[in-house]
Amino acid sequence: MPVETILSVENISKSFGKIKAVNQLSFEVGKGHVFGILGPNGSGKTTTLSMLLGLIPPDHGMFSWFGQPPSNESRKRIGSVIESPNFFPYLDAVTNLKIVADIKNKPYDDVDEVLQLSGLHERRFSKFRTFSFGMRQRLALASALLGKPEVMILDEPTNGLDPQGIAQIRELISLVASRGTTILLASHLLDEVQKICNHVLVLQKGVMLFCGQVQEVLSVSDSIEMAAADMRGLTAAVKEIPGYTSYTETAGIIQVHFSTVVTPSDINAFLHQKGIILSHLSEKKRSLEQHFLELLHENP
Amino acid sequence: MRRLLSIEFKKIQTYKVFWILAGLYFVFLAAGILLAEFMINHIVNDINSRLPIPFPHVAIYYFPDVWQNVAFFASIRYVLIFPAIIMIILITNEFTFKTIRQNIINGMSKTEFLVSKLMIILLMTLVTTVILTAGAFIIGLSHSGFNEVDFFSRGLPFMTGFFLSLLCYMVYAFFCGFMLRNTGMAIAIFTLYSLIIEPVIYFLFRAPFMFKNTIYTYLPVNSVIRLTEYPAIPMLKKIMGLELQANVSFTACLIPMGYAAIMIGIVFWVMKKKDL
Repeated sequence: MPVETILSVENISKSFGKIKAVNQLSFEVGKGHVFGILGPNGSGKTTTLSMLLGLIPPDHGMFSWFGQPPSNESRKRIGSVIESPNFFPYLDAVTNLKIVADIKNKPYDDVDEVLQLSGLHERRFSKFRTFSFGMRQRLALASALLGKPEVMILDEPTNGLDPQGIAQIRELISLVASRGTTILLASHLLDEVQKICNHVLVLQKGVMLFCGQVQEVLSVSDSIEMAAADMRGLTAAVKEIPGYTSYTETAGIIQVHFSTVVTPSDINAFLHQKGIILSHLSEKKRSLEQHFLELLHENP
Repeated sequence: MRRLLSIEFKKIQTYKVFWILAGLYFVFLAAGILLAEFMINHIVNDINSRLPIPFPHVAIYYFPDVWQNVAFFASIRYVLIFPAIIMIILITNEFTFKTIRQNIINGMSKTEFLVSKLMIILLMTLVTTVILTAGAFIIGLSHSGFNEVDFFSRGLPFMTGFFLSLLCYMVYAFFCGFMLRNTGMAIAIFTLYSLIIEPVIYFLFRAPFMFKNTIYTYLPVNSVIRLTEYPAIPMLKKIMGLELQANVSFTACLIPMGYAAIMIGIVFWVMKKKDL
């Protein structure tokens, strides 16, 4: 069954003076996807999100939300955390959230719930000014959750938080994603994208380098580590495995690369037939980081 | 509409700076109006001390003159600057706290944002005018007593004139704050222009004898505060031969309204075109 398209972006570009912040970017986000936009600082992530949220008009190209041209009505269905949390410092958490509810045309009933969810309920009558950085970030997330949005846009949601804060925010995101909310997350942290997202778009200098499923990135050219008492026999036998491309040997362990998907059990069965008993067998999935760095390296 | 007003109310309801400045404004407003007669008579005394035949003291709080006088003293620059500064703070805050961005992100349209601010201007002006009208009525009543027949005849034109003055001046302040985006800079430039630059231009371009129909007449701030041209002091007419202003001139109203309309137009255009 085809997935309903939530966001469709066609060839959008934006320049600031001579700098092309975003260049001919096209992608689609389906319903329920946790879509990561990955790229180093200054790669155009925030500019892209700002355009999608109507803050910056794109120079060229179009995009549509929920199959319709972007409008303030479509933005009401989206909860966003963009860069720094923006609230009135002299108002308390509840009033700040009520303003958001008013804008989104949602009842105040949700205010209490999102405050509970973000762990700010005890401080709900404290002025925003008195909040710590982590609390501000959580209030931003709480406001994004107001009115049960169909889509959440998160721009570097864990930026500048301590490990505990990062864990809390990620937990919240996972919770929201598990409810079927579509999530669009921009980050320069690969580990974050790898942990949270199922789709990823890699951006560099405003140009798209890769777009697809995270699994896809991870399963491209895996390698498998092996060792055996009879190393000579092993290296000879390994070359006969279908899909073999090359191997490297370090400290009594060989790392074998394949051009097709080969599972450890396939290998174990194959080598056993050849009479080789393995003392070590382990699948090495390349981390997104390695792939990411390769992508950046290939496209200087 | 109610939704937008509800949002704006939440933004100011517990904002101390707003209430303190609003309080100060009404203190200055009341002081300016109530001390005016005393100060004019102080000047009269001063002149009398050098004249063989003394001028009689003036009385400015009687019906129907009280309307014109209250409107005149309520629209002097030094008093009018207060609500303007409040307006500048309210709009530049949205940029300082980046809440304008957040409001748009959350689904407010750019038009709605501007309309809600214009509604607050309208409401603040309306409330001030109502308070001023009530104040003028009480002042008039306490001086004229209930014997006076002509309570209101000149109330409507001059109170409407004040309403237009304040409304347009608030729009100027809104424009200045919106374009400059920075609270300190906007207040500094607006105050400098209103209180110093325009008076200097007046000094340079004043026409001999009468201060009518010079470049000065068409400057934005002057056109606002000169909707009520003179205070109604019967003696002035006798001594100086000045024609007493019987009404607020409709053509005079068009000048500040024109400026305000252009500024609102520019604000809408900039909001549409510029990045937030």
